[in-house]
Amino acid sequence: MNSHITTGDRLVKSLIYAVLILFVIFTVAPLVFMITASMMPAKDIVKMPYRWIPESFHWPNFYKAIAGNDGRFMFPRNILNSLIVASSVTVTTVLLACMTGYGLAKFRFRGRTFVFMMIMATMMIPFEAIMIPLYLVTTKIGLQNSYGGLIVPFMVNAFGVFMMRQYLVTFPDEFIEAARIDGMHEMRIFWSIIFPNSAPTIATLSILAFRAQWDNLLWPLLVVQSEKMKTIPLYIVKFTAEKHSDEGAMMAVALLASIPMFILFFALSEYFIGGSAVFSSRKG
Amino acid sequence: MTKKKNRPGRIDRKLARWGLIFVAPSIAFFSVFSFYPIGMAFYTSLFKKNLLSLKRPDFIGLKNYIYLFGSSDFWNSVEATFVFALGTFLPLLIASLMLAAFIMSISKARRFFQMAYYSPAVISSVVSAAIWLLIFDPRGLGNQWVNAILQTPGIDNRWLADSTMVRLSTMIVYFWKYIGYFVIIFISGLANIPRSMYEAAEIDGATGWAVFWKITFPLLKPTVVLVSIMSMLQCLKTFSTQYLFTQSGAPQGPINVITLNIYNTGIRDFRIGRASAMSIILFSIMLFFTWLQFRTSKSDEVNY
Repeated sequence: MNSHITTGDRLVKSLIYAVLILFVIFTVAPLVFMITASMMPAKDIVKMPYRWIPESFHWPNFYKAIAGNDGRFMFPRNILNSLIVASSVTVTTVLLACMTGYGLAKFRFRGRTFVFMMIMATMMIPFEAIMIPLYLVTTKIGLQNSYGGLIVPFMVNAFGVFMMRQYLVTFPDEFIEAARIDGMHEMRIFWSIIFPNSAPTIATLSILAFRAQWDNLLWPLLVVQSEKMKTIPLYIVKFTAEKHSDEGAMMAVALLASIPMFILFFALSEYFIGGSAVFSSRKG
Repeated sequence: MTKKKNRPGRIDRKLARWGLIFVAPSIAFFSVFSFYPIGMAFYTSLFKKNLLSLKRPDFIGLKNYIYLFGSSDFWNSVEATFVFALGTFLPLLIASLMLAAFIMSISKARRFFQMAYYSPAVISSVVSAAIWLLIFDPRGLGNQWVNAILQTPGIDNRWLADSTMVRLSTMIVYFWKYIGYFVIIFISGLANIPRSMYEAAEIDGATGWAVFWKITFPLLKPTVVLVSIMSMLQCLKTFSTQYLFTQSGAPQGPINVITLNIYNTGIRDFRIGRASAMSIILFSIMLFFTWLQFRTSKSDEVNY
């Protein structure tokens, strides 16, 4: 491939690197801005030109971020709410998607194709189109302003079922047949053979489910009324919209709220990226 | 499945039952939380219904739809949504395809570039909107950078005040957040193209540009179509950025996208019927794009 490298090639190559690096600056600079601004007093943040290196660490930002403008310390509680909701949704999504995917991939029963098509069809229903009826149902069964109300509508999703089914279709039948011949109960087969052997797909699905809830603004906006039940996106919106909010504290809130996601990203980046790569393998 | 005789035996029936047991919880879930609400949304859209009023909602047929199609506020939302969707997804598509092709053409630091582009996707959309809110401050980084590039010191671009600029601002936030996501999709699409295709072209003496247009692009077309529709659907559903911007004082009109309008009409103004009609219209638009995706991807099967 590299028979002779001309100056033209070299020029093209450096141009490519220049464009790539320019975009790195564009994507990374706002994140660096968030981190550095969270350590600065407000007067330094909106100053021309922006100083990228903070002179000192301005602790009051983080105090204000956690205490809130009203000093009620809702931040820890709201973070906890987000963790509870996101983790619960992750657990139920993995469990239900894996069960359903297994049922659809490895069993023959009447209406199997129909069930699969119907589940896929729900992918076309945008949440925004059903949020109001969903809100009315949630209120009717008394789940508004509760963990139940935040968790139940997201217990499983069609994409998760699709992912697990696609994976399990390729799962070798011999393992299942052998276990059946040994007299293993169907539930045991699922728990001790199917479930543990789906680990990589489950990891990707978990991350997708967790971040969707960590990011969820619209639904909590509808069902949550009290400060105590707010999740982190609601806390950020409230904090940012308050007129007297300190810019440094705003970025401290943003940074603190992003830490769990950054930890997940650095620990499990391959599954993070796997989640988006799933789409490209979906041909036809 | 191993081949068996077609006669359903006792074991087959038992297995069929287990299959149903495994899928039953999801069937129940999707019935209650997807099919019932969409049916309900359609039903409610035919009524004049107020969330707070206790009297029976009046059946008004298609009047909600007729009202919406005659309402300038609704058309403004449709316009805002499509301006946002097109203005975001076209640059997103072109830039991510270009960056993915560039990354594949270099040999060093591929992983670094992917991670760097992907990093904004890690944080939540509310956090990204909050960061950019400060960047778009009159004395913020946005003005500093634009003025440095254009050599126009001291100009305020009114990122969050001017009606055109506030649209551009929401697009920038979205573009920034999703660029890495699509770069990665394109990279895995590019990685699926067999090496032998390039080697054959090399032997025939094809150069970089020609290789891209004659080989890479046609083979990548399914991914391009998929990414276009996906990002289009994603853009049509945009909410967080617009919500946070308007909450922080940006003018609502230019960025009053359909989702924001549904939220305000239904939850703030309690007009459930009208909000439901808007939901159904949004659903129909998205359904159309999904259908378009199926149609295009069916006719575009690629054989290597």
